[in-house]
Amino acid sequence: MAGSREARLAALRGRIAAIEAGTRTPTPVLPFGDPTIDGCFPGGGLPLGAWHEVVGAGLEGETGAAPAAFIGLLLRPLAATGVVVWVARRTDLFVPGLFGLGFPAQRLIQVRARDEAEVLSVLEDALSTAGVSAAVGEAQAPDLTAGRRLQLACEKRGGLGLLLHRRPYGGRAGEGPRTVSGSASFSRWRVGPQPSGAPPDDIGLGPPRWRVELERCRGGRSGGWILEAQEAGHGPHPFRLVSQLADHDVASAEPGWRKAG
Amino acid sequence: MRSIRRGQVRAPLALLVSERGTRRLAAVDDRARTLGLFPGQKAADALALVPDLLTFDHDPAADRAALEALSDWCVRFSPAVAIDGDDGLLLDITGTDHLWGGEGAMLVDLVARLARWGVPARAAIADTAGAAWGLARFGEDLAVVPPGGQRQALSDLPVAALRLDEAAEAQLPRLGLHRVGQLYGLPRAQLAKRFGLAFTTRLDQALGAAAEALTFRRPANPWFDRLAFFEPISAPEDMARVAADALALICARLEAEGRGAKRFEVVFHRLDGQAFPVRAGLARIGRDAQRLAKLVVPKLDKVDPGFGIEVVTVHAAGVEPLAAVQAGLDKASGAGLDETLAPLIDRLVNRLGEARVWRADPYESHVPERSVVRAAPLDPPPAAAWDPDRPRPVRLFKRPEAITALAKVPDDPPVSFTWRGRSHRVRRAEGPERIAQEWWRVELDETGPGKVRDYYRVEDDAGGRYWIFRQGLFGSGEAPKWWIHGLFG
Repeated sequence: MAGSREARLAALRGRIAAIEAGTRTPTPVLPFGDPTIDGCFPGGGLPLGAWHEVVGAGLEGETGAAPAAFIGLLLRPLAATGVVVWVARRTDLFVPGLFGLGFPAQRLIQVRARDEAEVLSVLEDALSTAGVSAAVGEAQAPDLTAGRRLQLACEKRGGLGLLLHRRPYGGRAGEGPRTVSGSASFSRWRVGPQPSGAPPDDIGLGPPRWRVELERCRGGRSGGWILEAQEAGHGPHPFRLVSQLADHDVASAEPGWRKAG
Repeated sequence: MRSIRRGQVRAPLALLVSERGTRRLAAVDDRARTLGLFPGQKAADALALVPDLLTFDHDPAADRAALEALSDWCVRFSPAVAIDGDDGLLLDITGTDHLWGGEGAMLVDLVARLARWGVPARAAIADTAGAAWGLARFGEDLAVVPPGGQRQALSDLPVAALRLDEAAEAQLPRLGLHRVGQLYGLPRAQLAKRFGLAFTTRLDQALGAAAEALTFRRPANPWFDRLAFFEPISAPEDMARVAADALALICARLEAEGRGAKRFEVVFHRLDGQAFPVRAGLARIGRDAQRLAKLVVPKLDKVDPGFGIEVVTVHAAGVEPLAAVQAGLDKASGAGLDETLAPLIDRLVNRLGEARVWRADPYESHVPERSVVRAAPLDPPPAAAWDPDRPRPVRLFKRPEAITALAKVPDDPPVSFTWRGRSHRVRRAEGPERIAQEWWRVELDETGPGKVRDYYRVEDDAGGRYWIFRQGLFGSGEAPKWWIHGLFG
């Protein structure tokens, strides 16, 4: 009896999985190259046919520098297969900086949108075009409908969508980015700077580090890590895991986290 | 050329100019001419003859503007329109008359349309610009000279029909030469000797023995097509359809000749003569009518149909040979990256404008804000690259922001600085990288030691990395200032 019950359960699970998958084919993933990070995702890496939110920690919510560098490094392997479209309302993205992180600058197309809605619609347009491997938008959190549209556009060609939440200049420093309850994104990341390690010969600055927290991941686990940039020649993966944050939930509480580093 | 009505009876009208303190008539309308007035007459004499003469000041600039507007309107008949003097238009209708079903019908249509707006006009068609000029002014109205017939058609006209200079025009009748035909048999060498070489040139140009260059308002372009409608259209879906049809016409021609174009212009001509151009550009040369229609249709809301659109013309510019093989390839697999991206770039550029879609290319300059130039996204990739040994921030501020910094030793990086009300303690620093102003670009006093920037990459306690610089040197007059120019991630 127990055996048949388990068999029926397994069959039901299989049917549910088939319904959930729909007509979609399993999308490829972008692995980080370290099992402690890749294990948090159901597919063993950041899934490509989906969009992800990236939030800056603290002051970065306005300047968006650490998240931009993180995204540039993250997309480095993808730029080999297609172009990356970067949509923003501001023009402070400085491409030589991304180039310095090993990102191929000739594969980057920049678009300056006039308002938030245009950022999202250009993002959608770019993601549903063959030859665009990833698209990055700088905007505030979209509502559920816009997020769902973005998801459908990502699925069309298997492109990776990234939305960098950025508060417009002039907002009060204490204000966080506009939050929307619930989101259609696959995962949400919070990225902030982290003091770097000692440089090789103790002159100048070492390779940059980021404090990266995976706050939410559909069908996976959350986690927090300190990542260091890896130079382009050193293996296929752009990041090197420095350490795991012991208790990222406590650490992400806004006032205390600076001291935790 | 305006008509004024007073009550039901039109009053005679004249335009006046001041010439050496005397008011004279510059132009008269038909009614004034029948009353015996003529240009050049003194205004006082004219008013004595015709007391109810309406007079206005002559405004040559407005005349010119009206003539230019008229020449733009004439584009519906032929793309090659040249302004001739103060009161004439020359249209090269080679290859366009069949659209009206013949030269005669085209001429009648042109003059009838002008008359409907109160523009009295005379017109003629001939092989040469010179013959058409003479016939329109001195010949039978609406004359159409058959090919090669200008010699016959001109022979009965007065010699003024040859566009001669004043001296020759006055001299010829004194010699008994009143008709153009009388000149045909005279020895050319003597005519040239007596009246100048320009005289025989004019004669040859009218008869087609010498070429004549016309300056067209827009460069002659064979890539031109038009659609005319029996009934004017105004519904948005109709306009979208005719735009697609017109583009399909020109694209079919381009395809037949193995060519493609970069810029397309669809012009909607309204009943009242106003024209609304709608442009579409392509990142790569192409001739896909459906894709072009998708670019044009969203812009149609700027076209105000008014009482209706009667004609649509379409031009293609930047026409270049385009091999036909690309159409057959599978779009996703066979074509290169550029092929698949071109439609996206076109959509974005047409929607946002060319300045809002770009690729950042290196430019050889050490000044950070000048080290990037914007290139079209599908341009060939640049040969140069930025120097990897000079780290640059990922966010560069348009204008550096002032910070207050504390440095232990004058030439050292600061130990702490305050930016946007927050103080940052510097943990590590790298630098300086000295960047001077480019003396060959700016004024000499802008490039002195006071304008030298020493850049430092600094990292604060929290790990944030900043690109700050000190402008000026210690001990050279003004105290140096600290600025923040960008953020590393």
